[in-house]
Amino acid sequence: MHIEENPNDVRAADLIVGIPSYNEANLISYPTQMASEGLIKYFGDKNSVIINCDNNSPDGTRDAFMNTPTEVPKIYLSTPPGVKGKGNNVRNLFKKSCDFGAQAVLVVDADLKSITPRWIKNLGEPLFEDFGFVAPLYVRHKYDGTITNNIAYPMTRSIYGRRVRQPIGGDFGFSGELAEIYLKQGNWTPAVVEFGIDVWMTTTAMCHDIAICQSYMGRPKIHKPKDPGESLGPMFLQVVGTIFDIMTKKVDFWKEVRWSKPTAIFGFGLGEMEMPPPVDVNLERLYDKFQAGFASHDVLWKGVLSANVYKKISEVKTLDFADFEFPANLWAEILIDFAVAYNKGAYDRERIMESLIPLYYGRTCSFVIELEPMTIQQAEELIEDQCIVFERSKPYLLRKWFDRE
Amino acid sequence: MKKILIVDDEDVIRMLYSEELEDEGYDVITTGSGHGLVGLVERERPDLIILDIKMAEHDGLDLLQDIRKEFYNIPVILCSAYSSYKGDLKSIAADYYVVKSADLSELKQKIKMALEGHIPFQSTQE
Repeated sequence: MHIEENPNDVRAADLIVGIPSYNEANLISYPTQMASEGLIKYFGDKNSVIINCDNNSPDGTRDAFMNTPTEVPKIYLSTPPGVKGKGNNVRNLFKKSCDFGAQAVLVVDADLKSITPRWIKNLGEPLFEDFGFVAPLYVRHKYDGTITNNIAYPMTRSIYGRRVRQPIGGDFGFSGELAEIYLKQGNWTPAVVEFGIDVWMTTTAMCHDIAICQSYMGRPKIHKPKDPGESLGPMFLQVVGTIFDIMTKKVDFWKEVRWSKPTAIFGFGLGEMEMPPPVDVNLERLYDKFQAGFASHDVLWKGVLSANVYKKISEVKTLDFADFEFPANLWAEILIDFAVAYNKGAYDRERIMESLIPLYYGRTCSFVIELEPMTIQQAEELIEDQCIVFERSKPYLLRKWFDRE
Repeated sequence: MKKILIVDDEDVIRMLYSEELEDEGYDVITTGSGHGLVGLVERERPDLIILDIKMAEHDGLDLLQDIRKEFYNIPVILCSAYSSYKGDLKSIAADYYVVKSADLSELKQKIKMALEGHIPFQSTQE
């Protein structure tokens, strides 16, 4: 069940741009305009439509979207009152894609301030060639995207073997065929219908033999960045919970994966690289939240973590802020121990996920300290090195998952 | 025996890498130029390519794109005296990037990883 306004009576489309939203009245007009310009400029021969997939936002998102002047027709699609979640919005988009017989669907975030018409070209064009899924590549500030850099990218890469740098980028392209595959999946968990949807889409594409490419957007992603110690709670739980859920379901695939392979790149030659805006991180707060985690979760950690990993994290606890360091290999083993405990169901899954947050804060604190003197390029190299550490931990994952020790 | 193609315009590098990698048990072929590289790969079907970036007549990053268009699943290791090309987005299309050194242990390690790399059913990526 959904709410739909379709003033142009659109009944079919080759290409759809979907803009999921909740309370984005102040920002949604800009990506809507850019989407329309991109569709007209680069896909003028296609039958296109822009769809705002909303959660019945009370702030006037619908009016802001529908009143934005565009050459391309628009549809407002909403979940019923009370039903929230980005994943629910995207699922409505999948259904609409199938109804319209779309060849290609693009998704862009409603809070994007840096989108240009070329983003539409670069996300869309590969879908009319040989690719079924397009992930974005953009320059981000070295402190932005800490869930991506410390969890989503290294885990999807090391588990499924495909290097997709922004697996939860929020801006994607996928074929109509893949939309049908998405819709047929049975694993629409409470996390997937919220912020787990992005990593779910990426990993589902990886596990279904879909040709994936990464497309360079040419401008940094400028949206509403958040201090990782301030407001990441629900998003963290949904993204990481979804990664753990999919690991459980796709074990026959990932147990065969060794190391990782690069992904095709699209969209070079876009000129000078633009620098992203700075992101502030409160390091002391991250450190304090990590330390506080021992008081709340020590008993559970002793049960979830292997003895050696627990010993190492106890050593990290003794480090002062000035000397603080939380090594990448320890972080990889912690995530593996948590994924295994989550899969085995020996503890309440919500408690497991909640107790991972302080450890994530500890790793993020150490990571940001390490990044401080680095350029964006050096930071990228550090992230690549961390991915190799995760890939080297794969035998540990296999041993733990299959009780081989 | 795994076949490795070395693309580098420096004779000394080609000789050094050939000797070291043959000692490791690889079948090594070399070329000093990017001319006709795609055709050479088509004929020889190497299991892995080691590709220099800054060559007199060719840019290895452009050659990498040519290789990727035709042979997506052949592992390619970029091997350059310069680390700065890591910042070029084109380098992402390589399996690994190694900065040249007299000590080939990192290169050998990355060769092993690239040859061992495996993802089930990659049919549509070819």
